[in-house]
Amino acid sequence: MDAPVQDNPLRSGLRIGRTPEPCTMVIFGATGDLTSRKLVPALYNLARERRLPGGFSVVGFARRDWDDAFFRQTLLDGVNANSRSGAAEAALWASFAQGISFHRGNFDDPAAYATLAERLAELDAERGVGGNRVFYLATPPESYHDIIRHLGEAGLNRSPAGGWTRIIVEKPFGRDLQSAKELNQELLAIFEEEQVYRIDHYLGKETVQNLLVFRFSNGIFEPIWNRSYVDHVQITVAESIGVEDRGGYYDRSGALRDMIQNHLTQLLTLTAMEPPVAYDADAVRDEKVKVLRAIRPIAPEEVAQFTARGQYGPGSVSGRPIGGYGGERGVEPGSQTETFVALKLFIESWRWAGVPFYLRSGKAMPRRVSEIAIQFKTVPTMLFADTPMNDIEANVLAIKIQPDEGITLKFGSKVPGQSQIRPVTMDFRYGTSFGVASPEAYERLLLDCMLGDGTLFTRRDEVEASWSLITPIHQGWAAGPAQPFPNYEAGSWGPASADELLARDGRAWRRL
Amino acid sequence: VEAAVTAAPTIDIAAIERELRQLWQENAAEAGGQAVTRALTLNLVARAADSETAEVISALVQRLTASHPNRTVLAIVRPEAEAQLEAFVQANCLLTQPGLPQLCGEQITIDARGDAAALVASLVLPLLVPDLPVALWLPGPGAFDDALLPRLRGVIDRLIVDSRDSAAPARDLAAMVAFSAAPDVPGRRAPALSDLAWSGLTPWRELTAQFFDTRVLLPHLRRIDRVEIDVVPGAAPNPVPALLLAGWLASRLGWAPLEEAVSVEGAVLRLHLRRAAVGVGPSAIRLVTVEIRSAAARDGGAPGLAALRLLAVDGVRASFAVERADTPGFARTTAQVGDAPPVGRLARCEEPDTADLLAAELRLLSRDRTFEAALRAAGAFAARLP
Repeated sequence: MDAPVQDNPLRSGLRIGRTPEPCTMVIFGATGDLTSRKLVPALYNLARERRLPGGFSVVGFARRDWDDAFFRQTLLDGVNANSRSGAAEAALWASFAQGISFHRGNFDDPAAYATLAERLAELDAERGVGGNRVFYLATPPESYHDIIRHLGEAGLNRSPAGGWTRIIVEKPFGRDLQSAKELNQELLAIFEEEQVYRIDHYLGKETVQNLLVFRFSNGIFEPIWNRSYVDHVQITVAESIGVEDRGGYYDRSGALRDMIQNHLTQLLTLTAMEPPVAYDADAVRDEKVKVLRAIRPIAPEEVAQFTARGQYGPGSVSGRPIGGYGGERGVEPGSQTETFVALKLFIESWRWAGVPFYLRSGKAMPRRVSEIAIQFKTVPTMLFADTPMNDIEANVLAIKIQPDEGITLKFGSKVPGQSQIRPVTMDFRYGTSFGVASPEAYERLLLDCMLGDGTLFTRRDEVEASWSLITPIHQGWAAGPAQPFPNYEAGSWGPASADELLARDGRAWRRL
Repeated sequence: VEAAVTAAPTIDIAAIERELRQLWQENAAEAGGQAVTRALTLNLVARAADSETAEVISALVQRLTASHPNRTVLAIVRPEAEAQLEAFVQANCLLTQPGLPQLCGEQITIDARGDAAALVASLVLPLLVPDLPVALWLPGPGAFDDALLPRLRGVIDRLIVDSRDSAAPARDLAAMVAFSAAPDVPGRRAPALSDLAWSGLTPWRELTAQFFDTRVLLPHLRRIDRVEIDVVPGAAPNPVPALLLAGWLASRLGWAPLEEAVSVEGAVLRLHLRRAAVGVGPSAIRLVTVEIRSAAARDGGAPGLAALRLLAVDGVRASFAVERADTPGFARTTAQVGDAPPVGRLARCEEPDTADLLAAELRLLSRDRTFEAALRAAGAFAARLP
């Protein structure tokens, strides 16, 4: 059913990929922030880059009493404020907006889905959409259940006339292993796994995709990408902001759910996975799942040994004062929610046995930075007598994901005229070798979904495997004593316990 | 964009290299501690016949630094002038966002007059950065008569010409076909050919190909009977872009020219081809007519392609049109099959400038087989032009 058109003879030699078939994207929760800040600017930019076909349509589904004109204007404002290509071009927007309409309805009202089905059938005829649909769940997760069930009841889980139907589910995908399994069961009672696209926008980032290109299209790195040469790996995703206006949501989530379960786990699996047999959705995801299954779970009674957590107190970031987490709106008094987490993980595979992977993620850090650092083992003996052995630093390959995408290799070099060895870095930065702006993560992911390519989306077993690592940690924390929160100052690199986690192994976090 | 320029006349290769090194040190010092990044991805050799062209090329190369940081060797070749040989070095630096490293490419300009013109190739060779691709760009007419081409052919990876400048389209298309037909030799690939006229067709090809990414529309592509290409003629009308577009369709869709393949009626050029008939049996054929017509310019519209329409008239009527819109820089695409309502959209179809076209061609690492097939077909049409 989803067989792509591979045999268009006019495609040969063209430098952009094929265009998806015309389809209607139904956005549930269309009046929300995600739609106007990310989704529609991404769709507009795809249209602007000629990546969307004629007939492409958007139906916004939400409770509010809006009409088409108001919805379009709201989206236009969103594009003007958030598009990477700047304000919308009037003629192009006018053409794009012709395909946008608003459908008012409550998520739990069956009648709203019946009228939605009629509207979609009209669009099929009017705009040559051919029964192709994408349903985008951009609502709070509490509404997923109703939407999925009613889509099924209205028969909208299958397309008429040989078209295709797909559903995109935003994070958070569950809040523990049990709820993730339940959500999967609900989804898969109505849709096939091939129809389900669980989005993790980190996978849409160019540098994250480049991780695979870097590893598997260069002959020199893969031979040393293993326990024989790698001492340890550090993965950092630091945010400089606090929870801002998301206190209510965040207080029920925490850094482990909000960042580690999805984004950092993705970075970990891409760094550690074996070469897939092909670059396709199942081959890549098979290898990622193997990594997750090889990770030694941290048992609830081991959390003190393998984890560190923190919550920020008042401080300042880049000269801007930030109040403590406990005082943020929506946060429970005396909250035990972690805004920082560090983990030490081991992957029990032939490639990685004995190599620790240190993960950390936190809010209110000194700067916004995401990177993967592969620290290699140091030389076995010191050849240069005048240099003390401990002056030799290990080689580090750092893959920077944001904000300054690139790859840095640190190595030792002789200081001219002196018998001293100093570390120097060799920098490759995307911005300086490719002047072309990278597309936004959502552009790539929305396009992939329309093309039926699930490689950069999370599969059922992947999401469950990652929760099965996270949930015991939550259980261990809950069983232990209350933490003396706040335990790190906003604008610092986290609590002392995070440093101790590495210091116990004779290692230290990279200064970023 | 800001360019840092220092000049020092010299013809000593080692001195040129020294100058460049010093330039980098000065740039690094001026950047006030901010890293200056030298990230070269290719060598670009360009030839200019006069100072004005050289200035245009210099400006283009500076814009190219953003997408293709390179070492440019610009040769101003003036054999008719009084003998003189000079060289200058400069760094082409882009100021990116504050806080990000400054990105620089480097340029060496060789001004060779009189007898010194014959020395240019021998000066270019030692100035190439080793182990990086070499592109030779010969703007203007007569690229294939240029003395630099045979001297540099053995070291270049890509030759870039622009057949829109051609004064003798049939002859130049034949030369391009011959150039691109050169076989690879063991251990070394034959240089690829780029024509900026072809590169300029990319948005048209994309918008046309996109119709047939849709499963239900794809079968109609094999049923096309008639093609209309509307061209707004410029000051010096040149049929090459339209012929390349027709050549692209013919080569991709397996249309073969008839014995009497080309006819001219007033301002209309007709190409007569045949294709396999669909669903009638293996030997049945149908005729395809490609009509290249002059169109009036829209208000403020530039010369060039104005419309491409593909029509299937036998059985179910189907039409697929890409037409320049009233808004400059945009085209309207419309697909209609049978009685179904037409499906269309407005899409960007910009008139890319030379720097954009160069950047697009330099992005290619190997030969563009689709272009070569289109070129052969266009060359065959051009050879039959009355």
